[in-house]
Amino acid sequence: MQLIKPYFLANRWRILTGLLCLTAVDFLQLCIPLVVKRAVDDLTALNVVPSRLLVYAGWIVALAVFIGLFRYVWRRCLIGTSRRIEEGIRNQLFAHLQQLSAEYFDRSKTGDLMAHATNDIQHIRMATGMGIVALTDAIVLGTAAVGFMITIDLRLTLLVLIPAPLIVFGTRIFSRKLHQRYRVVQESFAELTETVRERFSGIRIVKAYTRENGSSAEVDRISRRYVEKNLLLVRVTRSLFPMTIFFSNLGMVIVLYAGGRLTISGTLTPGDLVAFINYLGMLTWPMMAMGWVTNLIQRGKASLERIQRILEERPLILEETGTTAAPENCSGGLSAEAVSFRYPSEDGRRRVNALSKVSFRIEPGQTLGIVGPPGSGKSSLLQLIPRIYDVSGGRIRLDGVDIRHWPLHRLRSSVAYVPQEPFLFSGTVRHNITFDDPDIGDERLHRALRMARLDRTVASLRQGLETVVGERGVVLSGGQKQRIALARAFLREEAPLLLLDDPISQVDTETGNDIIGSIRRMSATRTVVIVSHRISAVRFADRILVLDGGKVAASGSHDALLAEGGYYADTFRMQEVEESFHAA
Amino acid sequence: MQHDYGHFEEDQLGKPYDIRLMRRLWPFVRPYRRWLVLTIALVIVLTFLDLSMPYITKIAIDRYIVPQQTSSDAAAEGDGVRPYTVRLDGPDVRKVVERHPNLFRVQGGQATIPFEALERLSPTEVRTLRREDLSGVGMLALLLLVVTAAHFGINFVQMMIMEYAGQMVMHDLRMRLFNHLQGLSVAFFSRQPVARLVTRVTNDVQNMYELFTSVIVFIFKDLFLLVGITAVLMAINWRLSLVTFTVLPLVLAASMHFAGLARDAFRELRIKVAEINARFSETISGIKVIQLFGEQEPNYRRFTRLNHENYLAGMRQIHVFAVFMPVIELLSAVALATIIWYGGGRVVQGTLSLGELVAFISYIRMFFRPIRDISEKYNVMQNAMASAERIFLLLDNKDGLRKPDPARPDPGFLDGEPLSVVQLDRVSFSYNPGEPVLQDIQMELRRGETLAVVGPTGSGKTTLMHLLLRFYEPDEGRILFNGRDIGNADPQAVRERTALVTQDPFLFTASIADNLRFGNPDLDEAGLRQVLESAQCAEWVRRLPDGIETVLSEGGQSVSSGERQLLSIARAMARDAELIILDEATSYVDSETEERVQAALGHLIADRTAILVAHRLSTARGADRIAVMHHGRIIESGTHAKLLENRGFYYRLYQLSR
Repeated sequence: MQLIKPYFLANRWRILTGLLCLTAVDFLQLCIPLVVKRAVDDLTALNVVPSRLLVYAGWIVALAVFIGLFRYVWRRCLIGTSRRIEEGIRNQLFAHLQQLSAEYFDRSKTGDLMAHATNDIQHIRMATGMGIVALTDAIVLGTAAVGFMITIDLRLTLLVLIPAPLIVFGTRIFSRKLHQRYRVVQESFAELTETVRERFSGIRIVKAYTRENGSSAEVDRISRRYVEKNLLLVRVTRSLFPMTIFFSNLGMVIVLYAGGRLTISGTLTPGDLVAFINYLGMLTWPMMAMGWVTNLIQRGKASLERIQRILEERPLILEETGTTAAPENCSGGLSAEAVSFRYPSEDGRRRVNALSKVSFRIEPGQTLGIVGPPGSGKSSLLQLIPRIYDVSGGRIRLDGVDIRHWPLHRLRSSVAYVPQEPFLFSGTVRHNITFDDPDIGDERLHRALRMARLDRTVASLRQGLETVVGERGVVLSGGQKQRIALARAFLREEAPLLLLDDPISQVDTETGNDIIGSIRRMSATRTVVIVSHRISAVRFADRILVLDGGKVAASGSHDALLAEGGYYADTFRMQEVEESFHAA
Repeated sequence: MQHDYGHFEEDQLGKPYDIRLMRRLWPFVRPYRRWLVLTIALVIVLTFLDLSMPYITKIAIDRYIVPQQTSSDAAAEGDGVRPYTVRLDGPDVRKVVERHPNLFRVQGGQATIPFEALERLSPTEVRTLRREDLSGVGMLALLLLVVTAAHFGINFVQMMIMEYAGQMVMHDLRMRLFNHLQGLSVAFFSRQPVARLVTRVTNDVQNMYELFTSVIVFIFKDLFLLVGITAVLMAINWRLSLVTFTVLPLVLAASMHFAGLARDAFRELRIKVAEINARFSETISGIKVIQLFGEQEPNYRRFTRLNHENYLAGMRQIHVFAVFMPVIELLSAVALATIIWYGGGRVVQGTLSLGELVAFISYIRMFFRPIRDISEKYNVMQNAMASAERIFLLLDNKDGLRKPDPARPDPGFLDGEPLSVVQLDRVSFSYNPGEPVLQDIQMELRRGETLAVVGPTGSGKTTLMHLLLRFYEPDEGRILFNGRDIGNADPQAVRERTALVTQDPFLFTASIADNLRFGNPDLDEAGLRQVLESAQCAEWVRRLPDGIETVLSEGGQSVSSGERQLLSIARAMARDAELIILDEATSYVDSETEERVQAALGHLIADRTAILVAHRLSTARGADRIAVMHHGRIIESGTHAKLLENRGFYYRLYQLSR
């Protein structure tokens, strides 16, 4: 609730105006049956002149004009406010998500987050917009209509309202059932979605085992069950509506019988009777709306709570309080002391260490290579340096200061990082490399392009740097994407630390060698940490770590590791054979 | 009420309603047309009941509450006095008349009293005089009750029938779409994100359901009602009807104009929402890059700009509706005013009864209700239409194999004949033109032989397996089973002969038994046990709390990755196929499980023809023949011993691995 309070406060005048107009509309609406009643009474007695009727007609049109004006105002004010709330909360959510750590995104599904960003925010908008309108409307119109009816005849009002508690009571019972069956339908829908997803993900197995028919039968069974659950649900939803109509029509029967008798015996004028019928018609909507409104508002509340929960998530990686020790200029000396790391787990289950007791030390301007079999912890180690994750034990120091004592933005701006999976945004090539930073000159950009061996590729694209790469860079090949990620990092010339996670995995050998050449030239002035499965990419490093199962299996220079034998030497020779055959 | 079934990508904008889409929906509706006819019939009945209610009130007013003068009362006409006539056929009625001689005018067997003068009688006297009126109103109230109850019952039945038919139509559509997609080539699935396809089968079909129901409600219920009201009004008084309907052209013009504005507003809003979703999802996926490059601020600024555009589009939509709704209300008030003014005049003249006037007012209110609801339906329809378009777009996709119609179809492919030889004859293949993945592959494999394919990552080994399963078609060359081109055969007939074991074991969320039966649905208990035994699974499966009925779930902890490998081997065993196609798993398992995997593999390929992609030279060594692939070509082949003798690539790899 405290999430939307500020919005209500900020828009209080708008909301107040809207509510006033809404109330005005309701009262003016109730005046129309009064005019009709007067006309009918005059007509019953047949003592009316045409000009009088024209006055009545004029009144009705005049009332309608004012109703229209007020209605326009409340729609703009109240529903407009809900749009403002929507915009504000969405901005809040977006800004908040951007601050959360990688760990949060590991444990939440993108689909769920998207559902919060779209459905939940929509529910909040509906609840704060139409929800509030319908609620006010129902209450004001309902009570006012009843009030007017009482002024006409108390006894008849009481009689007519007999079905009203039945409607409320019935809706109550039904909504409980509704809720439960709705959940069942949702579950069934989720089951259907999951089954279809699995069959499509495993399409190769399905086809290889010629089980298309079996798959189809399975989906058919679950789809039928979904239909069945849906029919159970609609049995409730679809009886709710006719039931409300039935009860309101029952009111009509009572008016006709009791009101008709009262009119005949002269207690009620025919005009009263007609007005009564009109008011009863007006009551139907508030009675029907109540069920809908409570549903809408409840849904909005649940959505609000879900959004609130996300906003209460705190990023795990924060700037530590005592961040004073970090030096003015980062020179890039890097060391790890007995670093252990375990990926945070969502279910509290203890996971195995991705890294245990890893130590190394490199001076500013030196290069560290990291190799090891898949799953040995190479990428994990690299991700700890810019604090995508925090160490679980031990510490990493930059220029002798624990990285957790560096201001986070300074730490990260000291780092140029190339991730294992290049991530591209859907904008242009230029946007993906420069992030539209106006301070980056063309010369600097082209230097980065050349170093990433991207210059000719960009030139060959029809719109060059302005080519739109599409969602996650669909129009580009894997190698092109990787080189864009490289250029993006190379452009950060001022960053003293260059971290590369398997930077040439998707380019051919020749291009790879050229890129390694660029990296070597850069390594003269910067500290470089390079992870690779190709030994040729790390052999020039001052120091090479061989990881295995999260531990340092060996370390040293290329020559020392070759002499030592083991994984490094074996892999090196194997790749040498492969490369010699490629050359042949 | 509209349900939301998760967000979906909006890659295309909903075009205005397209009658073609309706026509395409018809074949799905056809099987349920009886239900459809029934529901329409019930809708017609409902419309009559709806229309009858104000009419009953009209009769009550005209006949009993404010009785109309009959023609014999001509004397009273025009003097501004409504007479009330009673027949003097009961002693108590006569007594009342005799008690007030100055009020009544007795003529023959009848007495007439001005309607207003009734007030001067005591209530008991009025009740006595108007006994028939009272019982008449009671009868009509009873009739109204019956109509109301019937309305309730029929309404419910009609809705249930409509729901049933609608749900079944959607079920059929869903199955049709699923089967269609399932039949498309593997290439199609490599290009399309699975999530998007799933959304089509689930959410989009659900959205179309709204189309189905709202179209029925709109066309049949609302339209019938409008037509019915018009007819009834014309029947009551055509003059007043025509005068009242002078507002109709305005209503029509306003609605049409609004429809155009609303469509633009909806479309704009839809585009903005799609862009917001795209930006959200991109930010979530690329969060690491955004944070590492300190892009949060600019990214947020871009997002707020977009979000504000969405707000403005929303406000434009609000404006459109905020103008439309009051305009329609105003027009409805003008209609009401017309009835009061013109109709009231007719009542005074005596050409219209009071009850008719009241009925007119009720009917006009009924008339404007569906028009006001049009906006909401419009929204639903737009949404549903967009979904329908996406669904039919997929159904139109005939992305089969690259050669959809083989030159010489081979319907009786192999026809029970055992598979004795598999040949690849100069096979070349590329995923993208100009980037060959396989070139000139030539190999032959006889019954019972094992061929191991080795080579560095990216040399085309897995692609070769996929060609053998007809997941893709070779660009050049042929693959022959017993000398017959599998390209001419039904892909299923080819796959019947094979069993695939993939690199990452893909198992379904189902029990172990069901996963094994996936290989062979006819497998009995004994067969299952035997398969588990030879796939080295029997022992550890027995130790699971639910044994063979243990349900494997995604990321479930009950079964380790090594055990999943064993199960995928067991599944292939259960299939008992003639040709085993195996892509050896590379993921690391502990040495004990590794031994079991090797043993299970041994059992699987013993006595069967097998092609295996070997990532470990130890696996390759046991094969009858080894083909060494490099950059899409076979650079060496032969037995282990022969390849060692050659002292080529294999020899050097082998030396290194020792």
